[in-house]
Amino acid sequence: MTRKKLTYLIFLLPIPVIVASLFVGPAGNSSFISFFRWFFMADETINSEMLTNILLQVRMPRILLVFITGGILAVSGAALQAIFRNPLVDPYVLGLSSGAAFGAALGLWLAVIPVQLSAFVFALAAVGLSYYMARKNKQISIVSLILAGIITNGIFTALLTIIQIMSDPFKLQSIVHWTMGNFHNANWDRLQMAILPMLAGLVILFVMRWKLNVIALGDEEAASAGLNPGRLKLWILTGATLAGSAAVAVSGIIGLYGLIVPHVVRMIFGVDNQRTLIINFLVGGTFLTLIDNISRTLAGFEIPIGVFTMLIGAPFFIWLLKKSNVGWEH
Amino acid sequence: MTQNKAVEIKNLSFGYHHHSIISNVNVDFYRNQFTVILGRNGSGKSTLLRLMAGLLPHCQGEIKINAVSIQKSFNAVKEAKIGFLAQKHKAVFPFTVEEVVLTGRAAFINWLPGKEDRKITLDSLERIGIMHLKNRIYTELSGGEQQLVMIARLLAGQPEILLLDEPISHLDYNNQIHFIHLIKELIKEGLTIIAILHDPNLAFLAGDRFVFIHNQMVQSYEGHEPWTAPLVKEIFHDNLTFIPHGDKVVFIPSLQ
Repeated sequence: MTRKKLTYLIFLLPIPVIVASLFVGPAGNSSFISFFRWFFMADETINSEMLTNILLQVRMPRILLVFITGGILAVSGAALQAIFRNPLVDPYVLGLSSGAAFGAALGLWLAVIPVQLSAFVFALAAVGLSYYMARKNKQISIVSLILAGIITNGIFTALLTIIQIMSDPFKLQSIVHWTMGNFHNANWDRLQMAILPMLAGLVILFVMRWKLNVIALGDEEAASAGLNPGRLKLWILTGATLAGSAAVAVSGIIGLYGLIVPHVVRMIFGVDNQRTLIINFLVGGTFLTLIDNISRTLAGFEIPIGVFTMLIGAPFFIWLLKKSNVGWEH
Repeated sequence: MTQNKAVEIKNLSFGYHHHSIISNVNVDFYRNQFTVILGRNGSGKSTLLRLMAGLLPHCQGEIKINAVSIQKSFNAVKEAKIGFLAQKHKAVFPFTVEEVVLTGRAAFINWLPGKEDRKITLDSLERIGIMHLKNRIYTELSGGEQQLVMIARLLAGQPEILLLDEPISHLDYNNQIHFIHLIKELIKEGLTIIAILHDPNLAFLAGDRFVFIHNQMVQSYEGHEPWTAPLVKEIFHDNLTFIPHGDKVVFIPSLQ
């Protein structure tokens, strides 16, 4: 298939995938056949209220949340890979995920602040801390940013452990469940809560998408072409962090996904971010929706989606690591 | 004479943390000439070039480009029509040549590149004679080809002055000579080029004017003057054999 045909496919696929996913799930009376019989054949035996409730109140918000989260992880992964000039960076590199995990655990433990809000705030705070630590002489070097991210991850993981030790087993279970990614209690309220920072972050990244190409060539190259690399990086980090924090706050940690999707997109569609950022969003959304369908139906209970992405992603990551040249040379 | 000066530098000093790198430099660079900057490693050549390119803020003194004094934060490409080529460049992502050259338009692009920017990109590929590389992957090109792409990228910014930091140090001898020819071509087209070179013979054969930087001293020479300059032996080696070559002189080291 040519690149052009594939692009059409990527643009056309989301709608049928989203619609089909509405009929995937553990509730037996909500299959497409039931829907068809109720909608087109006016089958009285179908409980229409329950059916529409499952489809529109339970599944629809979840699918949309999954789709947007997948898209955000891919887009912010691609953006961070460009500014770090490294194809093996993921959206969590600056401590976003451990900050969010700590925030969520704190929320679950204290039970006085909303879990999502707490996760969002601490995710932002973690990235802010990394950025602050890495800033020296008004400059941000990539290596110090990565190291600051490692330290931030360490700090918040340590704090998370303290909360886990102090929590009772029931709360501990929900904390663990949260950290591996969970969409099972998604609803319209949650989507509504997260959508504003998500869209704000995405808009920033989309208007900057061509400039990602400039910064991907190097700070020096960006500066000599007349851009301010520090300011550019700050904007991109802000966009990726806003959207990423909102996504991680409502979805939990979905490991490796934001690393792998941009990589696959790059292999197929090239590196021009002006063209590929939207492709990243659509591919990221579509595939996470499909993975979520599996996690909802594979076992009698719901397998956290982060388990899937991690187990599928890890071998792929190792393969990438062995095959590609990803050293930081400046 | 002032109109002929592309860059005027007066009493310029720069250093990091009380460590002076260049101090009290006075030197002029002339329009439509090929000026070569020569000096040992660490003598402050790159710093001088970076200061002119606006990549470093100068602390003391004055830099005038086209008779206009430049401010601390100025956009070299847009306001002073300066193109700067850094010494080393290592690309990570497999961008196509066209995509790389297009980024040279960044100073003129608000959000996304327009038709005009893409046209100028193709024009500069044409000008350097590398149109055939347009769709090739930059990271897969040879060092010589990559350097031509970077020059095309500079030209996409439509500069009048090119500042090149050791543009041929990583090229093989044949490509070095090709690159010098390209510089002479661009001079003929009206550009002003200031480059740091390490090979004195190539420099003296090709350059119009020579700026030596040594022990925080800056001296400039024109035409045949450098061969009689005491700085030549001081910078390069004190045991050199001079060989006449046409109306010029080349030299080789005496190795024992």
